[in-house]
Formats: sequence, structure tokens, C-alpha cells
Amino acid sequence: MLKNTLLLSVLALSLTGCVGLNTVSMTQVPAKRDNIITTKAASWNLLGINFSNAFVDEAIDGLKSQCPTGKIEGVYTKHQTTGYVLMFKREVFVSAYCNEV
Amino acid sequence: MPIKMKSILGLSFLLVGGCSQLHHVHIGDIDQSQGSLTPFTITVNELGFDAAKAAEIGAGAAKSASTSEDLELVAFILAISNFGPKTGNPVYNDAYADEVLSEVIKACPSKKMTGLTSIREATNVGPVSGEVVRIKGFCINLI
Repeated sequence: MLKNTLLLSVLALSLTGCVGLNTVSMTQVPAKRDNIITTKAASWNLLGINFSNAFVDEAIDGLKSQCPTGKIEGVYTKHQTTGYVLMFKREVFVSAYCNEV
Repeated sequence: MPIKMKSILGLSFLLVGGCSQLHHVHIGDIDQSQGSLTPFTITVNELGFDAAKAAEIGAGAAKSASTSEDLELVAFILAISNFGPKTGNPVYNDAYADEVLSEVIKACPSKKMTGLTSIREATNVGPVSGEVVRIKGFCINLI
């Protein structure tokens, strides 16, 4: 009985989706799209307990550092949460175009 | 488990549960070609309250079984009454986020800004929460 329960649990776990898409957003896409830049920032937590959302700032800094004197346009932002056993990973993926003026 | 131990455990969970929740993030275009940037942050906050969770906590802490059952029923009625899509806990003022626009406009003396990032987040402590809208951005210091 225990063996069946364990097998069923493993099967159910393998069929369960573990990624939750929180938000997606996009800004105006420029005509000039030669230089694409990407960055991401993540934050791990146990049982969904977080004390800060400052990891988002890392993504902004990552974007700025890749285009120090240009315009960052067409910013695509994806915020997702991936669940592992008792652990959750919150991630922000950002891609954009860097255009020098 | 003795009631005192239960209460301590419940209180610890309530305190540890004082956590930050990120609902939404949107990063805007950033223009670093016109001059150096100075960051600014505008935050507005409103008290959120989850009555069903409060009743649930009350049911857990109740000394008699009948009170506990009554509070569980109250929690269930509150939960199904407020069932539906929502972001964070309900608040008592639906216009609290509107002031961000006037605050953002005032943020830059040069009136030129870039890289506006909109963040919707919450800080939860048991059934009570701070429902936060945070706008971060940069003022352009014209050369």
C-alpha cells in the first residue's frame, strides 16, 4: 500500500507544473533592433517566505550596465516563480534593445 | 499539543509570515544618452485586511471546541463571500494608488525622467498587510 502511495506521489509530482508565470510586460519596440541585451535576477526562499523584493533592482542595474550611454528600449519583462520541494525561486527576466544616439 | 505551545507556535508563524510578496513588475525604457541619472522612488501604501484569515486564526486560538467551530464557519462564509480574482488583500480605499502620478511628476526638477519601474507588492503579517505600489525611476541631469 505504502509502495503504491509513493509511486502515485512520484507520478503526480512528475505531472505537476512547477512554474507559475506572474507577469509579463513590454514597452514600445524601436525600429532599430541590432543590439539586444538581456539580464535576469533571482531570489530563493523557503516556503514562500521573503523579506525583500530588492532583487528586481539587480535586473535594472544589469540592464543599465550593458548600455551605459545609450537608450534602452523595447523592454520585455517576465516575472515567474518556480516551485521546488519546499523551496521557491522568484525570477525576473529582462530583454531590451540598446541604441546609441 | 498544549494550548500554550500552540499559541507560541501560532505567534511564531505569524511573525515569520511577515513577508514580502511581489505581485507585478514592469520595467520601462531607460535613456542614458542625455546625461547622468539620479534615482528616485515613490511609494504609496494602504492597509489590507483578510477577515477570513483573521477568523481562521481565531478558530485555531479558541479555547472551546464550539467557539472554534463557529469561527471556522465564519471564516468559510467570509472566504466564499470574497471569492474571486484579486491581487493581495482587500483594502478600504480604492484610490490610494492614484497619488503616484502627482508624486512622480514632482520628483524631477529638470522634469525629464526615464526608466520608470512599476512594482506592486505587499508586506504580510498574518491577516493584515501593507498593500504597496512602488514607482522607481531616474531623473535625467541634462548636460
